[in-house]
Amino acid sequence: MASVYSPPGFNFSNEIRNNFLLEKGLPLPKATSTGTTIVGCLFKDGIVLGADTRATEGPIVADKNCEKIHYITENIRCCGAGTAADTEFTTALISSNMELHALSTGRKPRVVTAMTMLKQMLYRYQGHVGAALVLGGVDATGPHLFTIHPHGSTDKLPYVTMGSGSLAAMAVFESGWRADMSRDEALNLVKAAISAGIFNDLGSGSNVDACIITATHTELLRNVEMPNQRVEKERKYAFRRGTTAWKNQTVRDLIVKEELTTVGAGPGEAMDTT
Amino acid sequence: MNTFADRFSTTTAASQLRHAQKLAEEEEFDATMWGSSAGFGSLTKGVPTFTVPAVPDPTAFLRLHTDDHADPSCRIKIKHGTTTLAFRFQGGVIVAVDSRATAGSYIASGTVKKVIEINPYLLGTMAGGAADCQFWETYLGMHCRLHELRNRERISVSAASKYLSNLVYSYKGMGLSMGTMICGWDKTGPAVFYVDSDGTRLKGDLFAVGSGSTFAYGVLDQGYRWDLTDEEAQELGRRSIYAAGHRDAFSGNTCNLYHVKEAGWTFLGNYDISQMHYEGPGDVPGAPGGGYGYDIRVEGRNSSDPPEEAAAA
Amino acid sequence: MSIMELNGGSVIAMVGKDCVAIASDLRLGNQALGISANFQKIFPVTDRIYLGLPGLATDVTTLRERFRFRVNMYTIKEEREIEPETFARLVSSTLYEHRFGPYFIEPVMAGLSKTPSGGYKPFIAAADLIGCLNFAKDFVVAGTASSKLYGVAEGLWEPDLEPEDLFETISQTLLNAVDRDAYSGWGCVVHVITKDKVVTRTLKGRMD
Repeated sequence: MASVYSPPGFNFSNEIRNNFLLEKGLPLPKATSTGTTIVGCLFKDGIVLGADTRATEGPIVADKNCEKIHYITENIRCCGAGTAADTEFTTALISSNMELHALSTGRKPRVVTAMTMLKQMLYRYQGHVGAALVLGGVDATGPHLFTIHPHGSTDKLPYVTMGSGSLAAMAVFESGWRADMSRDEALNLVKAAISAGIFNDLGSGSNVDACIITATHTELLRNVEMPNQRVEKERKYAFRRGTTAWKNQTVRDLIVKEELTTVGAGPGEAMDTT
Repeated sequence: MNTFADRFSTTTAASQLRHAQKLAEEEEFDATMWGSSAGFGSLTKGVPTFTVPAVPDPTAFLRLHTDDHADPSCRIKIKHGTTTLAFRFQGGVIVAVDSRATAGSYIASGTVKKVIEINPYLLGTMAGGAADCQFWETYLGMHCRLHELRNRERISVSAASKYLSNLVYSYKGMGLSMGTMICGWDKTGPAVFYVDSDGTRLKGDLFAVGSGSTFAYGVLDQGYRWDLTDEEAQELGRRSIYAAGHRDAFSGNTCNLYHVKEAGWTFLGNYDISQMHYEGPGDVPGAPGGGYGYDIRVEGRNSSDPPEEAAAA
Repeated sequence: MSIMELNGGSVIAMVGKDCVAIASDLRLGNQALGISANFQKIFPVTDRIYLGLPGLATDVTTLRERFRFRVNMYTIKEEREIEPETFARLVSSTLYEHRFGPYFIEPVMAGLSKTPSGGYKPFIAAADLIGCLNFAKDFVVAGTASSKLYGVAEGLWEPDLEPEDLFETISQTLLNAVDRDAYSGWGCVVHVITKDKVVTRTLKGRMD
C-alpha cells in the first residue's frame, strides 16, 4: 500500500484489472439484489410503509428474512429495492447527512430534504447506483410519501409501490385505497399489498415488515405477518459423532492461564549467589 | 397452377400414389424382414437420415445453437469434461476411462459408462456428446454384425473405424461432437483407431482424449513400452486415469478398465479415484501397494516432514 | 465461466449452541487445472473471529492483508479487540468502497461476540462482492459450490448443535456439496469456535 491515507468516496483502483478480466469474456458474479415488493400509503394520521423480506442472488434466495425498511431519521424511513448493497449504503449515507443537517439547523428534519439528498445523489451516479426507494415520513409540514427511481426521478403520491412485486401490490392499492383511512385499515391494506407481492411475485417472499409513522410516534412492525413459516423437521439429521474422517487437528486454547511467580526471595531463604 | 399445387400438396391422390411408388423403389427389403429397426431407420439404405432445420443454411443454424465455444449462451449444451485413453501393446489393448459427467460446474454424475461395448471384440470410448457417441457407436455395432453376416468373417478394426469416420463426416458441421477410440483385435493383432466428429481418423499405438488427456499422456508416455506385461499395462492405464482424475476438475470419480485380447475384451474393474489416491487400487495385479497420492507417497520423506537421519544431519 | 470459477473454492459457516463453525475447501485451481490442495481461505482475525474469503485468489491474499491492516488500526485507535458485528461492518464498507471496481470475493465471517453480561453469543455473517451483509441465524455459504451448499445445509442444519455435533454437520455438508462441484474440493478444513478454544481439523476429502 503506497499510502495509509485513502481519499473519501469510491475507489476505482481495480478498474483496469477488472476490465481486463471482463474483456476475456468472464462475466461479473451476481450481486445480491432485492427483487422485492415495497409499498407506502397515506392515511388519516400519517404514513404506513411496507416491505417483504426476501433477498436474492440470481435464482437463489440469499436471505430469507432481511430488513428493507431503513432508518433515515426518527420520523422518516425509507424502503429499498434494487441492488441490496446500494440501498443499504445510500440510505445509511443520507441518514448520516440528515442527522448532521438536523444538528446544524437545530430543527427536526423534513422529508423533502431527505428526498432531495437522495435524488441528487442518485442523479449524480446516473443510475449506476441501483437503488429504487420508497421514502415516507411525517414532518412539520405534514405526512409525505415519495418514490425515488435509480436515475433520480421522483414522484409524490398518496399510495406507491416499487420493486418486482409493484404490479401485484399496486393492484391491491388501486382497488382498496381510500382517502382518510384509519391506522388499522391502512396497516391491513399494506399487509394485503405486500402479501400480494410475496405470493404472486417470485422475486419477493417470506414475511411482511411494516412501519407506521405519525406526527408523534414511529412504530416499526418487524415481521408483522409471517405467512411462510417453515414447519419443524419431523426427524433429526444430526450425524453420529465420529462420522467424518479427519487427518489432523490443532487446538488453540483461548483460556489465559496465569501463574504467579514470587519475585525476590522471602526473608528465610536468601538467593544463592555463590 | 393446379399442377404446381398438386406436386407440393400431400393429400391429393396423385401425391399419395407418387409417395407409395417412391417407397417401393427405395425399400429393397420390407422393414419387417429385419424386425424392429429400433429407431435406426432402414439398415438397407446405409446411413440413417435426420430431419434438418427448414432454414436456408441448416449447418449454420445448427452451429449457432450447439457450438458453445463460439457462443456460451447457446441452447444445446454438450458435455465436454472427460478423460479416456487406449493403448496397444504386446499383450493386446488397454482401454481406461473416468466416469464423471459435468454440466457447467455441476457434477451431474459420477457413474457414467464411457466405454461402449460395440461387440465382444470391439470397444469404443466416449468423449464429447454422450448421446452422439452412444447412438453412432451402437449403430456401428449393428453394421459390424451385418458385415459378419455378409462376409462370413469379423470386421477389421480399421474397417469399423473407417465406417464410423465416413459416417460422422457426412454430418460435418451439423453439431455432432465426439472424440472416440475404436479398439479391438483383428487379423492384424491389437489395433487402436482415433475417430472424431471433424472426420479425423488416426491409427496409432496410444491415444488419450478429453479435457484430462494431457495429464493422462504425462503418465502414459513415461511408462509406455511395447513389451509391457499385462499387469504392468493394466496398472499404467489405471495410474494414467488417476493422474487425470486428480488434476482435472472435469474428470474423476471412478476409473473403468478394459483389456482387449485375442479372444475379445474383458472388463477388469471399477476403481475409485479418491481411494486410489489414499489407499491405492486394492489387491490387483500390477498394483505397487499404497496410495498414488503425492502426499501419501512422500509422507515422512519431504521438506516439511523429513526422514530422521536427514533432519539430524 | 465466471471470475469466481477462475480459481474455485467455497466457504460455509454455521451456528451451534454457544459455538460457531466455519469451513472451507483447500483447492486452488487455474480453471479446470488443480494447482494446490493446501490453499487456505479462512484466516483468524482475532481469537474469536474467523474470516473466510472464497473467490479470486489474488484478492484473497490482498484482502487478507487489507483486513489485517484495518483491524490492527482499529485495535490501536480503540484500545480494544474488534467485535464480530463491527468487523462485519468493516468488511462491508471496505468492499462497498470498491463498488464500481470490486474485489471478486464473497466473505463469510464467524465468531463469538461478547454480551453485556460477560458471556459469548454466536455470530455469523456473509457479504456479496460489493458488501451487502447477510446476517443469518442458521448458516451462510459462499463460493463456487454455494448453490449446492444451500441445498445440503438447508437439509442437514438444526438448531442448538453441540460443538462436536456441529463439526459433523458442517463437515458432512461441505464434503457432500463440494463432491458435486467441479471447482471446489481437494480436501477441507473446519474450525469450531467455542468460548474457550478453537478446534481446527483437516478433513479427508475426495481428491478428484
